[in-house]
Amino acid sequence: METTVAVVAEHRLGLVNPVTYEAIACALEILRIRPSRLVTITIGEDSEEAGRQIAAKTGSQVLALKVPGLEEFNGDAYRTILAGLLAELEPAWVCIPGTSQGLDFSPGLAVRLGQCCISNVERVVERDGEPAFARSLFNGKIVAELSSLIAKTLLMVQPGAFSAVFTGSHSPGVVETRTIEWKSTHIRSLGFRIAQSADSALAEASVIVSAGRGVGSKENLDLVRRVASLFSKSTIAGSRPLCDLGWLPYQLQVGQTGATVTPDLYLACGISGAQQHLAGMGGSKFIVAVNTDPNAAIFNVADVGVVDDLEGFLSDLLEESNACSHK
Amino acid sequence: MRILVCVKQLLEPETPLCIDESGRWVNISQTTPRQMNRFDEYALEQALVIREQTPDTTVDAISAGPESCSTVVRRALGMGADHGIHLLTGDQGYVSPIRTASCIALAARSRKYDLILAGVMSEDMAQGLVGPMVAEMLSLPCATSCIFVRVELAKASVYVEREIEGGRRQALELDLPALVSIQSGINKPRYPSLSNIMRANRQKLEVISTVAAEPSRSCEDLLHLSYPRKTRAGVLLEGTRKDKARQLLRVFRERSLLH
Ligand SMILES: Cc1cc2nc3c(=O)[nH]c(=O)nc-3n(C[C@H](O)[C@H](O)[C@H](O)COP(=O)(O)OP(=O)(O)OC[C@H]3O[C@@H](n4cnc5c(N)ncnc54)[C@H](O)[C@@H]3O)c2cc1C
Repeated sequence: METTVAVVAEHRLGLVNPVTYEAIACALEILRIRPSRLVTITIGEDSEEAGRQIAAKTGSQVLALKVPGLEEFNGDAYRTILAGLLAELEPAWVCIPGTSQGLDFSPGLAVRLGQCCISNVERVVERDGEPAFARSLFNGKIVAELSSLIAKTLLMVQPGAFSAVFTGSHSPGVVETRTIEWKSTHIRSLGFRIAQSADSALAEASVIVSAGRGVGSKENLDLVRRVASLFSKSTIAGSRPLCDLGWLPYQLQVGQTGATVTPDLYLACGISGAQQHLAGMGGSKFIVAVNTDPNAAIFNVADVGVVDDLEGFLSDLLEESNACSHK
Repeated sequence: MRILVCVKQLLEPETPLCIDESGRWVNISQTTPRQMNRFDEYALEQALVIREQTPDTTVDAISAGPESCSTVVRRALGMGADHGIHLLTGDQGYVSPIRTASCIALAARSRKYDLILAGVMSEDMAQGLVGPMVAEMLSLPCATSCIFVRVELAKASVYVEREIEGGRRQALELDLPALVSIQSGINKPRYPSLSNIMRANRQKLEVISTVAAEPSRSCEDLLHLSYPRKTRAGVLLEGTRKDKARQLLRVFRERSLLH
């Protein structure tokens, strides 16, 4: 029997979240190693609309599960509905975007189905003719390759790790629709609220000087500010822990749960380079990192690195820049 | 109400890491400094806040791992947990989240907790799996990555807001008992107090050996570890601090970022 690779799409109000295409890109890499049938699953009120877009763009066959009343993601609904469907489809691999949504329903689903679950997959590699999956450990300092010991695996695909390039040279996939009833039980959705939106300064800046936990103190942020003011069209920003500490407003947070930025220069000061941070700044045109730890993962994505203490180095940078401008 | 908080012990994040001869784990010595997973500190703090607001509430802290993990349970007591449980495992190297979750679920099942809290993920493995897996094993409703939590005893429910992408939050109501995983920034975790530390030192931890009840299922195999490859040049500047500062300014000028 031909094996199946499934993708669980992410969509809302008829709009497909681009991470869906990244999950499909991951699935296609598995297909290169183990030729299989590809099926993309959409779930909810808007499943047909979203499914048609996916089928047109990627050529993937789509199974649209129309669930009356399910307008928004609900973990209970996804686990219940997918447990039924996956037991029927029996895919060997299921690729799920590793977003707040995927990370919410997948671990429980894996337990329910007795399947293997690997999160934050960044790469698919071939080992002994079988796909294995690479992910970061220890804040990006180590890469692990994991393989499944059982026949069925749920994979959560790290956002930003796979590039989704789909050319138009295929015929649209077939969309099959099924209607499924579901009643909320122990988890009730009470809607959404906007907590914060990214500061527009981040999108407009051509230089971002960004501070991480390595700044050590709130006072040292002043150095970061002064370095930023050397550049025109610049702003400061920071990693999540600095916002959690209350040293910076959340509007200035860069990363998976903050802003995505692509400035001409991103100067990362005392930032370790966790995947969740890289997701927001990996596309910057030029990246410079300052960090005391020569093995910090941020150096792997940097164009230029400085292994040094932040306070001392930024002070000298300011001094030298002054010296130059007065010559 | 009865609350359980899952806490994990980590190596201090700045510890230099070296892949061992097996190629499947890193060298760790007994003396390598360790600390509590910071996401779990937020979970524990949240439990303590709920206890302050809810009469007759007790907070248990649980950690699964080798001998050394007793210190992370003691730290939880130092922060203010009432009772500490150490699930003593003989595990070395990579531990499958399904195994950790099975151990915790086994211990939690008979104790009838109303609320189980966990950090959204551990800083070292960054998997985010143990919490929601425990929930499924105990058939509890579950919400992950919560940035706001309010227990509503009269309704036997908990109101949570999950942090999702794009600066939005999803509001949910879960029937108790439930499991909620906590995102950083929800509160300001307290430091252990002197009086609690003294109490923690006197107090006996409940140690449960999980060797007998070994949940055997491991679903994935860690094939091997490697150091990450560079995706950009990653040129490290050399020389004195002043040399490096001058070189960097030159790079900025060459790229017309500075004039
Ligand atoms: C669901 C989820 C979403 C997340 N979203 C985001 C997000 O959007 N953005 C984000 O940033 N994080 C996010 N995180 C958190 C992320 O996993 C990391 O914890 C975080 O990025 C680490 O921030 P950091 O690099 O500042 O701190 P750390 O990882 O603590 O790194 C500090 C660095 O500073 C260096 N350092 C220390 N002292 C000095 C010194 N004196 N001089 C120079 N360097 C020094 C250290 O070597 C270290 O590399 C998220 C986590 C989760 C679970």
